[in-house]
Amino acid sequence: MTNIISIKDVYYKYPGSEVYAINGISLDIQKNQWLSIVGKNGSGKTTLTRLIDGLEESESGSIAIDGVISDEQTIWEARKKIGIVFQNPDHQFVGATVEDDVAFGLENQGMPREQMVESVDRALAMVDMQDYKKRDPQSLSGGQKQRVAIAGVLAIQPQIIIMDESTSMLDPDGRKTVINLIEELRSKQDLTVISITHDIEETQLSDRIIVLNSGKVVKDTTPAELYNLRGQLQEYGLEEPFTNLVAENLTDVIDFKGYIDEKGLIDQLCKLNSNT
Amino acid sequence: MPGDSLIYRLDPRVKFLITFYFIGIVFLANNVASYAFLMVFVLFAVLVSKVNFIFFIKGLRPMFWLILFTVVLQAFFTPSNHPIWHWSFLTLSKEGLVIATYIFMRFILIIFISTLLTLTTTPIEISDSIESILKPLRVIKFPVTQVALMLSIALRFVPLLIDETTKIMDAQRARGVDFGEGGLIKRIKAFVPILIPLFVSSFSIAYDLAIAMESRGYKDGQGRSKYRVLQWSMRDNWTIVFMAGVTIILLFLRSY
Repeated sequence: MTNIISIKDVYYKYPGSEVYAINGISLDIQKNQWLSIVGKNGSGKTTLTRLIDGLEESESGSIAIDGVISDEQTIWEARKKIGIVFQNPDHQFVGATVEDDVAFGLENQGMPREQMVESVDRALAMVDMQDYKKRDPQSLSGGQKQRVAIAGVLAIQPQIIIMDESTSMLDPDGRKTVINLIEELRSKQDLTVISITHDIEETQLSDRIIVLNSGKVVKDTTPAELYNLRGQLQEYGLEEPFTNLVAENLTDVIDFKGYIDEKGLIDQLCKLNSNT
Repeated sequence: MPGDSLIYRLDPRVKFLITFYFIGIVFLANNVASYAFLMVFVLFAVLVSKVNFIFFIKGLRPMFWLILFTVVLQAFFTPSNHPIWHWSFLTLSKEGLVIATYIFMRFILIIFISTLLTLTTTPIEISDSIESILKPLRVIKFPVTQVALMLSIALRFVPLLIDETTKIMDAQRARGVDFGEGGLIKRIKAFVPILIPLFVSSFSIAYDLAIAMESRGYKDGQGRSKYRVLQWSMRDNWTIVFMAGVTIILLFLRSY
């Protein structure tokens, strides 16, 4: 597997701050991988994604996107490969209507209008928002706004999508549609997903999960292994998955050896039901 | 306001320019015939726009006191040799009443035509036309596209900032601030605890938006293409011809 992002020995501290927000991180992210980044508030998750997109400049170390080391010249090309969906749906809407907003990234690339019209339609169709094309963003629900934000990102046909707590301000329905959408898009095209989240359900879908603490990677593992840590999870600012908690209380009747996902738990419960 | 009629379909640049042009030529009218003619023109435009007349009356409401004040001032303070009624410094004369009526007509005409513009044109269309009209200023290095983007973002964030204000007001009310009580000074003072958090939060929104724009590849407005285009059509040409006709008739009707 090729590395789409390669981070080497990156250090970063915010202006005027004494402590390193990113304290020596090295990380390779493979193509088409779904990576979750978890950790407490202030552990450096958002800072890391901003460094990847060149929105902040690292003090030392290097970041390569698709084999090209980012610097002031190459970052604009790199940004065409990366799309970020931010936390607050209201604070990332530039356009006065849905279609204008989706077109914003394309306008920045100087794409001719005829092509733009096609791309906007295609991107809106991907997120199933084509009927809302002419609508004013204020008239949309949170989930719909985030879908439009995703369409804006998809329009530039990126290779990497970064979800910076994009679902944290949504209701459960909105959250589910957004997560399903990302999963579906990733299965259809060659897309690398990096999602910063506090939501366990969301991390369970990922291939790989890293835990950040004080600007360092303290765990680099799979969701199943991470959730096997049980009590230790709280140290990383995570809750135990609901399925684990259920299974734990049923240890005398079902087979529970550590992390169990929803499907596993349902299977176990069905088995139990048919036994009695 | 959404709708569909000839006026809605006109190029916003034409509407924008004609509105200002009309406000200019209103000042050429100086007799009953010319004012009546302009009134007929405005009512004709209102009719063609198919916008409910109620909205135009509503447009007058915020200006009511200003109109009343000016009209009364004109009516009572116009000096005249043949006063109808006189009391200390107040003089009511035929001339005064005529001028007051003209002023009143002028207000109505200007308010109706600008209401027509704002009702049939979206804010974003207006900002697009400003960009298009200001284009020549690029020669003197005036950042036209940046200013237009600023304008459209400002318009886009108005409802968001109103939401924010409501939220802050609710938060302050929950702490016992009363915005509806007390004298004028006290009420104005009560708004300080709204303005400061509003200021802070608009800065944080601006910061978030700047990051989002940069991540989507916004550099400095150079080399950008445009998604929204304004389409100049035959009906826009005809509207200009029509306006020229209106001007000629007006020049013919006014007294010299």
